[in-house]
Amino acid sequence: MQYISFAIGQLVRNAKHGWTAQIMTLFTVMLSVLIFSFFFLIYTNMQKASSRLGNELRLIVYLEDEVPVNFRAEFQKKITNFEDVEDIVFISQEDAFARLKKQLGNDNDVLEGLDASFLPYSVEIYPNKNLKSLARIKEFSDYLAGLPGATKVQYGQEWIERFGYFISLLRIIVVLSGALLILTTVFMVSYTIRLTLESRQEELEILRFLGATNSYIRGPVIIEGFLLGVFGTLSGLAALLFLYEWIKIHFSGPGFMNLFELSFLPGSTIFIIFTMSLLLCTSGSMLSIRKYLKL
Amino acid sequence: MNDTYSSTPLIDIVKVSKVYPPNIMALDNISLAIGRGEMVFLTGASGAGKTTLLKMLCFLEYPTKGIIEQDKKDVSKLSATDLQLMRQQIGVAYQDFKLLPKHTVYQNIALAMEVRYENPVKIKKRVLKLLNELGLSDKVHTPTNKLSRGEQQRVCLARACANRPVLLLADEPTGNLDSDSTAKVMTLLNKLHDAGTTLLIATHDEKIYQNTDHRIINIENGKLQELLKVKLDF
Repeated sequence: MQYISFAIGQLVRNAKHGWTAQIMTLFTVMLSVLIFSFFFLIYTNMQKASSRLGNELRLIVYLEDEVPVNFRAEFQKKITNFEDVEDIVFISQEDAFARLKKQLGNDNDVLEGLDASFLPYSVEIYPNKNLKSLARIKEFSDYLAGLPGATKVQYGQEWIERFGYFISLLRIIVVLSGALLILTTVFMVSYTIRLTLESRQEELEILRFLGATNSYIRGPVIIEGFLLGVFGTLSGLAALLFLYEWIKIHFSGPGFMNLFELSFLPGSTIFIIFTMSLLLCTSGSMLSIRKYLKL
Repeated sequence: MNDTYSSTPLIDIVKVSKVYPPNIMALDNISLAIGRGEMVFLTGASGAGKTTLLKMLCFLEYPTKGIIEQDKKDVSKLSATDLQLMRQQIGVAYQDFKLLPKHTVYQNIALAMEVRYENPVKIKKRVLKLLNELGLSDKVHTPTNKLSRGEQQRVCLARACANRPVLLLADEPTGNLDSDSTAKVMTLLNKLHDAGTTLLIATHDEKIYQNTDHRIINIENGKLQELLKVKLDF
């Protein structure tokens, strides 16, 4: 208790001497947390959207002829030889015609006088939910294209590929901004504290002469780094919440954002970001005090 | 006055030399034992080696040759923790004061007790008592850079005495003081001595040791030249 009261006393004295540098550091920590968590927020939302799209993913194999009923099991086996799937549906020309008619709705009169023979036979394959990798989907599609009688395979390649690339790009941004967060936080916190320590060098020297222990000198500095982390991270996360609400208000409604049900970072992620940032700030302050602890 | 000293010396300096680069002999093969509870005056001209000796006794310098033992421990072999603990038991009144200029008189003195995690109430009581004894009661909240040299010197001494140290090293403690303040300082030092503190006072000021019963050691050109009075019984 005594120790904490001395440490806080020291901390207040330090803050009085170097408050400008501390505010700058607080601001840097806040911005780093905001940048990282903002990209992470977008990334997690995109991933959610991607898994929703993944659930709706189906590969359509167009065939020259209908697969006879007694060969269907063998055909299915050929498909599952490559990848386990959730469902395989054989679509006859009549089924396809009925679907088209339904899709056209009130305009289905355009089909009058036509029979189903102009539509191809097809097989719809609903892959397992774990088939998420774009490369694997492509491989699967190529495999299906090689099946006997297959003329074409469709799965919305362009859209899925673009979306996949976008998510990969986001992943890189998240990793980079994470690295930025680590570097700036550790650097800025240790730099600010080093500046404070440089200006207090005379005091530290006198403390040494008076027999101050390492913990007496180290304590307030570590608490300073810790508090910079707490307030910097909380402000960064608060700014993120503000930004999230603003985006929700201004971009909700019909349009692009409606594709995604935008949701905020889960509590566990916020806790991890908070803890990581605190650890970084505290270790930044520990790094800077090391050289001053030598007797 | 405390005239009976412990049979084991608190400080034992054995054949110590200190050479500063390039080849300046500050102390030359000196040996000295100071008993626990003893008060010793160290005299000598400027540059004779008084400050170097004091610096070695508070671990700011280490001997080039020889051994210094404090409380039977070779100071050159102390661990970092032991060194910190030992420093807490030594009060030093530096010649250049080593005060924190922007901190108040109270903060400067309290710092010596804070590093020992003393109770704040005890700290306050002790600091105010010391300031009263040294005639500085009206300067409690004055930053030390606003004080005269004489006042700074007394603050420095108050800080050295704050913890009632086992050993007190004072480098010219009355150098900037008038006779009234000198008397106050000597009263405080004598009080500490009576309470059992071992004192080593480096001084030019003959007045403070003229009529003393304590040992007076003269140092000249890095050598202990003269032992004027001996009162040590071990």
